[in-house]
Amino acid sequence: MRALRCMITTLLALSFAVQAQAIVVVELKQKTSNKVVFKIRFDNGSIMDPADKKGLTFATAALMAQGGAGGVSYADLQDKMHPWAAYYSAAVDKQVTTFTFQVPVDFVEEFYPLVKNMLLAPDFTGQDFSRVMKAQQNYVDQIVRASSDENYSKFALEHQLFRGGNMQHLKQGTSASVKNISLDDIKAHYKNVFTRHNVLIGIAGNYSDALLNRLKADLETLSDTSFVPARPSKANMADGIEVEIIAKDGAFGSAIFTGAALPITRADGDFAALMIANSWIGEHRKSYSRLYQKIRQARSMNYGDYAYIEWYSEGGSNQLPPSGVPRSSNYWSIWIRPVQIATQLKSQYPELADISIGHAHFALRMAIREFDLLIKNGMTEEDFLATKTFLRSYSKLYAQSPAQQLGWLMDSRFYGRTDYLAELDTMLKEATLEQVNTALRKYWQTESMYVSIVTDKSEAQALADSLINNTASPMSYSELVKSGLSAEILAEDDVVAEYHLNIRKVTIVPSADTFQ
Amino acid sequence: MKTTIIASAAGIKAIALGLLLAASSITLSADSAPAETDKILPYPIYQHQLDNGLNVVTVPFDSPGLAAFYIVTRVGARNEVEPGVTGFAHFFEHMMFRGTDKYPKEKYSAALKSTGAAANANTTQDRTQYHMTGNADKLELMFELESDRFMNLSYSEHEFKTEAGAVKGEYTKNFASPYSQINEKRAETAFTTHTYSHTTMGYFKDIVDMPNQYEYSKKFFDRYYRPEYNTILVVGDVTPEQVNALAQKYFGTWEKGSYETVIPVEPEQTETRYVHLQNGSIPAYFSMSYKGPAFSDTEIDMPALDVLASMVFSRTSDLYKKLVIEEQKIRFISGGAQDSRDPNLFTIHVSMVEKEDMAYVMGEIEKAIGKAKTEDADEKLLQRTKSNLKYGFAMGIDTPGSIARSLSHYIQLTGDPESINRLYALYDKVTVKDIKMVANKYFKADHLTIATISEDELGALQ
Repeated sequence: MRALRCMITTLLALSFAVQAQAIVVVELKQKTSNKVVFKIRFDNGSIMDPADKKGLTFATAALMAQGGAGGVSYADLQDKMHPWAAYYSAAVDKQVTTFTFQVPVDFVEEFYPLVKNMLLAPDFTGQDFSRVMKAQQNYVDQIVRASSDENYSKFALEHQLFRGGNMQHLKQGTSASVKNISLDDIKAHYKNVFTRHNVLIGIAGNYSDALLNRLKADLETLSDTSFVPARPSKANMADGIEVEIIAKDGAFGSAIFTGAALPITRADGDFAALMIANSWIGEHRKSYSRLYQKIRQARSMNYGDYAYIEWYSEGGSNQLPPSGVPRSSNYWSIWIRPVQIATQLKSQYPELADISIGHAHFALRMAIREFDLLIKNGMTEEDFLATKTFLRSYSKLYAQSPAQQLGWLMDSRFYGRTDYLAELDTMLKEATLEQVNTALRKYWQTESMYVSIVTDKSEAQALADSLINNTASPMSYSELVKSGLSAEILAEDDVVAEYHLNIRKVTIVPSADTFQ
Repeated sequence: MKTTIIASAAGIKAIALGLLLAASSITLSADSAPAETDKILPYPIYQHQLDNGLNVVTVPFDSPGLAAFYIVTRVGARNEVEPGVTGFAHFFEHMMFRGTDKYPKEKYSAALKSTGAAANANTTQDRTQYHMTGNADKLELMFELESDRFMNLSYSEHEFKTEAGAVKGEYTKNFASPYSQINEKRAETAFTTHTYSHTTMGYFKDIVDMPNQYEYSKKFFDRYYRPEYNTILVVGDVTPEQVNALAQKYFGTWEKGSYETVIPVEPEQTETRYVHLQNGSIPAYFSMSYKGPAFSDTEIDMPALDVLASMVFSRTSDLYKKLVIEEQKIRFISGGAQDSRDPNLFTIHVSMVEKEDMAYVMGEIEKAIGKAKTEDADEKLLQRTKSNLKYGFAMGIDTPGSIARSLSHYIQLTGDPESINRLYALYDKVTVKDIKMVANKYFKADHLTIATISEDELGALQ
């Protein structure tokens, strides 16, 4: 009996081992499509970067996608693909790297060897390395601080939330760490974290079974080095509300991001319920969400205000959430787009000559108060039903093209799901108002948060003083706007202006000192 | 050819004629005939004009349950001819979300939310575009909401003043990028008279003054939010019959206007112009902008310039290989002509690794342009480039939204979505001779504007 049990255990173990070793494939065959899309995902991401070589995963993926392969130079590869309009690219996030390839079905046979070489035989030449690293160094030294204050504040928020952990750093690394990366580091990293043990194959469009079989067989020859995944660090718990103000030259406004740890992800049942509350208060780029209506629409303070319960990549350009950025270490956040600073307001309106700060403190108070009100009052039945109906329709727009559909299916696997969007629809359908209100009270609080504000040097100190002292921050409207505001709005402003935030710490950081 | 159900009087006559002619196996209708051959867009474009001049375009596409609903208003920064109102077309796009008597702001927001659609709008130099992509079974509600605001927009002076703050917020977020700042300077340097001299956002001083332009905003709506300035475009799980009937029902009573903008003509440029932005926060940058042609789907110039741009400035060009890959003196280079209704710029953008190499890099670009003027382009490369243009387009049109965006681009330029098919037919005809011709015709030093960004007080290329 014991022997039998032993044999069964062994068989089970063997069976598990075989399953664990087979490369998983996500398929989406579309016979009428005019193209083939490959997505090859490695579950690594920037959390796999060594502490002194942050940015190494990004550099490795960039050199694979923007370098020679199979003995063919990068320039010649570009030439080969040009008439087909085929292309490939790499996208690195905190926990995954995804290579995406697209080719018209007419040229898939000629294109495939390039796919194979890029993944299995990157040349890693010194010349390509030099070019790719210059661009990466340039990004961390300059571009990240100069191209978008909104993205800057978002990255700065992650820096606070995950300080001390492997989720903290920019995927591109830091000014110091990128300098430490050598070509040998990249070659070693390629072998260690781009392996057959952490790869997921995705294929969509009009492809043949034979092609897929070749791809599967070829990827079996990826590095066999045993892959030891890193555990993503969890978001820190702030001591009250902790604010970092990044002071830079020539900023026109104050760009704000704030957030706190969130223990659930798409893998969890409560996520869909929280999504309904989040959509109501701050659906991305939607004029009918609460924050938008309060801050932008009624008060004209900025371009928009939104809330998130997971990472949302390139929010300035993406209208719908993109795939390819799955994360198991999560946080929720509020995005307040740049609001006016004092020097600008003073120069525009003589009636505001005496103000000492712009609108950042008021906007932050208003956003947090809206969350407090929601936590206290919960959603109404009417809002709950309207938002649930909206989301059930809207989420069907996330995956329209073959590449998007494939991307969402692959992300599903990351969260232990098969077809997340279909499952989400069911979860939304079944969600109740009670579940939503329970979830939002369970996962949202505003006593412990991090805030990042990118602003002009002229604003920083006065804003810091106002925040740490919880000084009243009356909204400074121009007379043009103020004269037409309703008594209701003005009365609410009075409450917001004095709304107490649990701010315990405010630090001013010179822009030059960030991401070093 | 499908016979369409048309609700307008003119349409009914056409169908009657079509049925008669069908007996002799010829069909005809007032609507455009989607006879399919080698067109780049593999789907028929159904066009139907209402009596009031509103053009209605339908492209059925296999996207079960999904449709993209676009309205292209052929009004943009180009129309901002009066002083002090730069950025107004874009501002007005914002005002279009402020409600009507039937759908005041809150009710409009709730109704929009109930469509479950991805809805937004944006403005360029030549047009304003409103779009909703969502459930095809909500199409009638989309029509109702759009027709109501396009015909009956109504907002108070206070709402008008309030919305101006959001535009200022948009300018504020954009201003963080030095590239946005140089775009503004480049435009006002390259153009002295035409309205392309200002960006779509407009000048900050005009944005700050927007709250005072309430009366002008009413005039603006009255001028341009008229059938003759607009095209309705629906792509996806729909039929032309359904779309045309909804268009007639909801837009049939929209009154035609009479306003025509007189756009000032840009005089010929007679010497190279320079503009510089002192900013050391990004790698040094320069652009070279030559005066180019207006978009045309009948003249060879623009297609030839597009092909030239790909051959001389893309990732497969000799310049890219030399300067980016081999010498690594620049981070990137790109170049191309701006598609627009009036003559606009062909701009080459370069981001440097070291600012000291700027003059050398510009010299290399001038050499490449000189070569395009004097030497025949490689015939094989020409064919490969044409193939790239065609396959690139074909791979990009895989959703209702992507098809609608492509067609909208050409509707803004000519008013006719078929321009897309005509343009790609012209690409096929571009010859080595044409490329040499356009290089000589447009790359003239006297028609050049050079813009630079660096930490230095003065631009290095002057």
